[in-house]
Amino acid sequence: MDNFKFESRHKSVLLGGIVLGVVCLLLTYFTDDALHTRFWTNYLHNASFLTGVSLMSMFTLSAFLVAQAGWYTYFKRVWEAMSQFMIVGLVLMIPVVLGVYFGWHHLYHWADASEVAKDEILQHKSSFINPMWYTIASVGVVFLWWFLANRFRALSIKQDNNPSINNGEHRKQITIAAAFLPIAGFTSALVIWQWIMSIDAHWYSTLFAWYAAVSWFVTALCITVLLLIFLKGRGYYPKINTSHLHDLGKYVFAFSVFWTYLWFDQFMLIWYANVGEETVYFQTRRDEFPLLFFGNLIINFLLPFFILMRNDTKRKVGSMAFVCIVLIFGHWLDYFLMIKPGAMHTAHAAMGHGHHGAEHAADHGHGAAEAIGHAAEHGSAMLAGFHYPGLLDLGTFIGFLSLFLFVTLTHLARVPLVAKNDPYAEESVHHHIEPPYSEIF
Amino acid sequence: MTNKEILYGLYNDEEILLRAVDAAKAAHIDIWDVFTPFPVHGLDPKLGLAESRLHIAGFVYGLIGTLTAFLSMSWIFTRDWPIIFGGKPYWSVPAFIPITFELTVLFASIGMVVSFYIVNGQGPGITNPVLDDRITDDKFCIAFDVAGASEEQLDGLKKFFSNTGASEVNTKVLPVR
Repeated sequence: MDNFKFESRHKSVLLGGIVLGVVCLLLTYFTDDALHTRFWTNYLHNASFLTGVSLMSMFTLSAFLVAQAGWYTYFKRVWEAMSQFMIVGLVLMIPVVLGVYFGWHHLYHWADASEVAKDEILQHKSSFINPMWYTIASVGVVFLWWFLANRFRALSIKQDNNPSINNGEHRKQITIAAAFLPIAGFTSALVIWQWIMSIDAHWYSTLFAWYAAVSWFVTALCITVLLLIFLKGRGYYPKINTSHLHDLGKYVFAFSVFWTYLWFDQFMLIWYANVGEETVYFQTRRDEFPLLFFGNLIINFLLPFFILMRNDTKRKVGSMAFVCIVLIFGHWLDYFLMIKPGAMHTAHAAMGHGHHGAEHAADHGHGAAEAIGHAAEHGSAMLAGFHYPGLLDLGTFIGFLSLFLFVTLTHLARVPLVAKNDPYAEESVHHHIEPPYSEIF
Repeated sequence: MTNKEILYGLYNDEEILLRAVDAAKAAHIDIWDVFTPFPVHGLDPKLGLAESRLHIAGFVYGLIGTLTAFLSMSWIFTRDWPIIFGGKPYWSVPAFIPITFELTVLFASIGMVVSFYIVNGQGPGITNPVLDDRITDDKFCIAFDVAGASEEQLDGLKKFFSNTGASEVNTKVLPVR
C-alpha cells in the first residue's frame, strides 16, 4: 500500500471528536464566569499546545536531516504531515490575538492599558510584552515556521520524481533545515514568552521557554509513536521494525528526563539564588494546585523513567502505547498548570477584587459567577477547570486533538507514505540496532 | 597449564564474515570465537550469545550511588555538622538533588567499567594473547579450537575458510591462563 487511505469511518470518528470539542467549548462559554476565563484559557491552552507539537515535528525533521540521520527516513512523511498543522494553529490563535486588542478576554494582565499605567513592572516590560509583539509572535513567527515547513515538505514530495543520485532537492532541504533550526530555536522562545509566560506578567524565568518547548517535543514524539502503531496495525509501513520503535522510545525516555531536569532547575535556580520575588510562581502552584504540581512530576518523569528504562519495554507496542498516551495527557496537564493559575489571578483582579480580594465578600453584588472565581483563588474551593481539569476541559482537548489528527491524516493521505529517492531511504529500511531483529512489533 | 591450538581465518568485510558464520552454523562446525575491530550488528544472535547483564549491575551501582549521596548529605547537614546556607533549612532536599544525581552517574559508570574489566579478566598490567594484530584494525576473524583435531578435520576447516572467502588462514598456539 503506497498511499494512506483516510477511511470515512476514521474521518467520522475524528469529526465526532471535533464536534465534541466545539460543544464543550460552547458549554464552557455559557457556564463560565463573567469574563469567560475558563473558555479562553482552554482555547489558548489547546491551540498553543498543538501548534507547538506541530512545530516540534518540523524541528525533529530538521535536526535529523542536518545531523545526517538515516533511520527515520522511512516514516518521515508522518512528521511532514504533522508539521502542516502549524497554519491551522495560526488561524486558531487569531481570535486570541484580536482579543488582546479588543479586550475580549482577560488572559493577559499586560493587555489592559489602564493596568499597565499603574504598574511599574509591566511598564518596564512593555517594550516587548505588548500587543504588537504578541501579533508578531503569533502571526509572523508561526507563519514563518509554517512557510519553511511547507517548502521543506514540497521539496520532499518533488524528490519522489527525481531519481538522480546528486539530487538538488536534498541539498535544498538541508539549507532549509539548517536555517530552520536557529530560527525555530530563538523564535520558539519568543512565542512561548508571549503566549504562555506573559500570563504571569510579573514573573519571568529564562528557562521557561526550554521547559515549555520540551513538553511540546515529548508530545510530538508520543503522537508519532501512536500514529505509527496505528498505521502499522492498518497494514501500512510494513518495514517499520522494533528498532524504529526502540529509537523513538529512547527519545521519549531521554526527553522526559530532560523535561524533569528543566522542571527542577527552573525552581532550583530561583530557590538557591534567593530570588525571592520569583518564588511566587512556585508557591501558588505548590500550595493551591498540589495535586497537579506533584502529579505532574509523577506522570511526566517517574512513570516514563521506570517503565521505559528497560530495553524490552521500548520495543513492545503495549508498553510504548501506554506510556505515550499517558505522556500526551501528562504534558497537556503541564500546560494546564502553566496557564490556569496566572489567568485565574488576572481575571480575578480584573473583576474588581484587586489584590485585596479577601476583604470583599461574595455578596458584594458581582454575581454568582464571580463569586466562584473569588472562592477559587482564595483556596476555599477546588474548582473544575482551574484546580483540576473537568470534563469540559477534557472534551475540549479531545476536540483539538481530533482536529490535529484530522489535519495530519488528510495531509498524509495526499502523498505516498514512503519517500522515494531520498539518499537515506534504503538505510532507513535496514535499521537494526539490537537483537532480536523481528520485523514485526 | 595447557596451550590452545587455534586455527583462524581472516576476512576483509563484516558482510562476508556474517555469511561465513551462517555457513559454519549450517555445517555444524563449532566456532571457538569471533573477533572484529568494531561491534558487528547481528553477530551476537548468530553466535547465540546471551544478553549482557552488565546494565543490571549498572542499575544496582546507580542505586547505591543515589543512596550514598542522599543519606550521607542528610546525615552531614542535619546531625554531623549542621550549617545554615542562605537561610535555608538544614535538610534542604532540592540542594541535594544535583549531587545525588552526579554520584548516581559516577557510581554506575565506574562500577560498570570495573565490573566489565573483572569479568573479562582485563586490567592494568594484564596482557592478553592476541591472535593477530590486524583484528583490532581492519580484519574480521573466525577462530576454531583445533586441539587434537585430525588431519582430515583440519583440511575440512581450511576448505571451509577458502569456500567462505577468507583472505588468509593461519594457526597459532595460545597460552591459556
